[in-house]
Amino acid sequence: MFKVRFCFEKTGTAAYISHLDLMKCLQRSFTRAGIPVRYSHGFNPHIEMSIVVPLSTGYESRGDLCDLDLVTDELPADFTDRLNAALPRGMRVLSAKQADRPVNQIAYCAYEIRLPAGDEAAMAALFASPVCVEKKSKRGSREVDLRDYIRKIAFCREGNETVCHCILAAGNDPLNPMYLTKALKNAGFVPEEAAAHYIRTKILDENCQNFYN
Amino acid sequence: MNDKIRACLENVRKPARYTGGEYNAVYKEKNKVDLRFAFCFPDIYEIGMSHLGSKILYGLLNEMEGVWCERAYAPFLDMEAEMRKRGQPLYALESGDPVGDFDILGFTLQYEMNYTGVLNILDLAGVPLYSHQRTSLSPLVVAGGPCVYNAEPVADFFDIIMIGEGEEMWPELIALYRRAKREKMDKSAFLREAASIGGIYVPSLYDVTYRGNGTVAAITPRESAPPVVMKRVVKDLDKAYYPDKFIVPSTEIVFDRAMVELFRGCRRGCRFCQAGYTYRPIRAKRPETLEKQAKALIASTGWDEVSLTSLSSSDYPHLESLCECLVDYFEPMHVSLALPSLRADSFNLALVENVQKVRKSGLTFAPEAGTQRLRDVINKNLREEDLLEACKVAFAAGYNGVKLYFMMGLPTETDADLLGISQIVRHVIATFREHGKNKARGVRINVGISIFVPKAQTPFQWLGQIGAQEAERRKQFLMESLKIKNVTYSIHNYQTSFLEAVFARGDRRLAPVLERAWRLGCRLDGWDENFDFDAWMQAFSDCGVDPAFYANRELGADELLPWDHISSGVTKRYLFSELERAKQGIATPDCKFACRNCGALRLTGGGKCDV
Repeated sequence: MFKVRFCFEKTGTAAYISHLDLMKCLQRSFTRAGIPVRYSHGFNPHIEMSIVVPLSTGYESRGDLCDLDLVTDELPADFTDRLNAALPRGMRVLSAKQADRPVNQIAYCAYEIRLPAGDEAAMAALFASPVCVEKKSKRGSREVDLRDYIRKIAFCREGNETVCHCILAAGNDPLNPMYLTKALKNAGFVPEEAAAHYIRTKILDENCQNFYN
Repeated sequence: MNDKIRACLENVRKPARYTGGEYNAVYKEKNKVDLRFAFCFPDIYEIGMSHLGSKILYGLLNEMEGVWCERAYAPFLDMEAEMRKRGQPLYALESGDPVGDFDILGFTLQYEMNYTGVLNILDLAGVPLYSHQRTSLSPLVVAGGPCVYNAEPVADFFDIIMIGEGEEMWPELIALYRRAKREKMDKSAFLREAASIGGIYVPSLYDVTYRGNGTVAAITPRESAPPVVMKRVVKDLDKAYYPDKFIVPSTEIVFDRAMVELFRGCRRGCRFCQAGYTYRPIRAKRPETLEKQAKALIASTGWDEVSLTSLSSSDYPHLESLCECLVDYFEPMHVSLALPSLRADSFNLALVENVQKVRKSGLTFAPEAGTQRLRDVINKNLREEDLLEACKVAFAAGYNGVKLYFMMGLPTETDADLLGISQIVRHVIATFREHGKNKARGVRINVGISIFVPKAQTPFQWLGQIGAQEAERRKQFLMESLKIKNVTYSIHNYQTSFLEAVFARGDRRLAPVLERAWRLGCRLDGWDENFDFDAWMQAFSDCGVDPAFYANRELGADELLPWDHISSGVTKRYLFSELERAKQGIATPDCKFACRNCGALRLTGGGKCDV
């Protein structure tokens, strides 16, 4: 058996594939690609796989991770090419290797938030003092200071957009980047009706180093 | 995808329905195609993507050089609101281009309650609703599908209605359309020529007049349009086009699996069943063809299930050997077979168990009526003994539940027939008590009851549907009699069935009603949460149309019917003789034993059915 971890992009139309649907999409892609996947031995055999850090529907990713059990002892040489030929539009495998690091070493994710152009300096200043918002989780909602979840944040102008580059907590108590947009909307820096475009760029460890390396 | 579409998607449920990009979706370069085709399904994505006919035509059209066929579905309410708010017209899923700019919009009419969906799609696309309001050659608005055997209520909205199977008609129509564009023909000249293609019905070339009593006086073809448009069929299904790829949705749909078609047509002749008459003659595929098609589809899609579809799968002559061979091939790949539409009288446990090796699903039988007398009337040639025998075998093998489908409001039905439904249910329970393998687990019987809708081009086309009060009485009666331990039941909504009956036997005077109902907010009427019966009644009253005239009236034997200029191949005389037999309670044996000359074999130039 070989445990493969592969890094993939999910952009454009594929961003709208929800987490559960993505599992199914990938499983079908494995079948189409003839990947030697391992099935569980229960009453309803299923492919042993997991998407390492689930992503909200509508968000793009430039490097999400998926773990998959193969029946072979090593990674098939053409794994990436074969899978790429079988993926829906907007999905692409960038690389694949043995799943070595335990996923509990993931501590942060890096995001890009694309917003209508605004006052970047004022936006950055907002996050210099406590920013309280209602944060929802499975256990209910509570008031939190967003700064407790932000490792790094910067704003810049790109064309007619303001881009927020941020590194946010992942792991046990993660922060969805939409809370930053919410805070910016609450503060009046972004119009209420405006659409925000989210891109996850990296999955990081405790030291803000690429987890998948 | 443009920014407007992206902004819409931020606020809707299940956005993956509106993005395209699924595996096997076809993308072409715009500057290398000369004909843009939008396949429009007037219901939501999950339904439309489950429909086999669309997959066949999508593949067929995209195989044609220079043609790019894309898809559009009815947006759900939240998406429609977003699109209207932001001024985003309906777009084709592949290119994101507005559907209104396409050359041809091809609709499929699967169900009467989708008619408002047609209007909503046209309106969202910015296309005028009525054929006469569209003066140029594009967009050409075309319909096909099972409702075309009486599409009169929507005839005024379409430029062309295709009667029958599209595999051969589309290439001919597209060739003509290209020539028309090349020769700069105007729309009326094009339509006149189109009407000479077999199976092509151009509604605007027929004048319909009515008598004082509301019945049809005459249907008069103009400009050499044929007096009767005869259905087109594919003669040899083994040689007909069948896609080796289906689009694999990236989100859940209703039938999320590969499908191969065992045969078209049905030899049983149940008198209420429109498909049973309009898909004749019976044409089967060879098992080798099916095997090849199933294997190709699984390889190209990665699905874990392949369904063997038809109107009555257990009637396929080579079913056992085909299943055996498919199971042997697919089982190691974790791919299961689905066998819908099995009959209780040819139930074969070994077959079902073999098929369900990978995943076990439920058992469903459709006795349709509660007594043998009524089953003879409707020609559902199924005996209670056969049903109980099938249940016995299944229960003994470990099944502990069965789903049973019945209808209420059938012609000649009495309370004794309704009581017969609960009696059958009790007998099934007794069968379980005697033969069930796991008696301790208990039995679960699920009873589904729909309300009879008389359909055009069937022997029951002359009969009226029961009225609201009587339907309510029978419903209460059934509910009382079905209060049985271990039994759950559901009874279809009468109001929906009533509207189905109105449009199933309607005429052209219903077009304004449809438009009015749509303007009053009716759409996605098949969805309970959006079904607004009061709005429909308002629309009828605003247009001065009595719906009961269409739904509940018994039509005269010599009456000219609104759909008499459309032929499924089966003759009106044959349908009437079947009605007479029904009234006398005489069943008609299935076509396997003797050909009864229904007329459908004219379509294939004689020969015999594959039974």
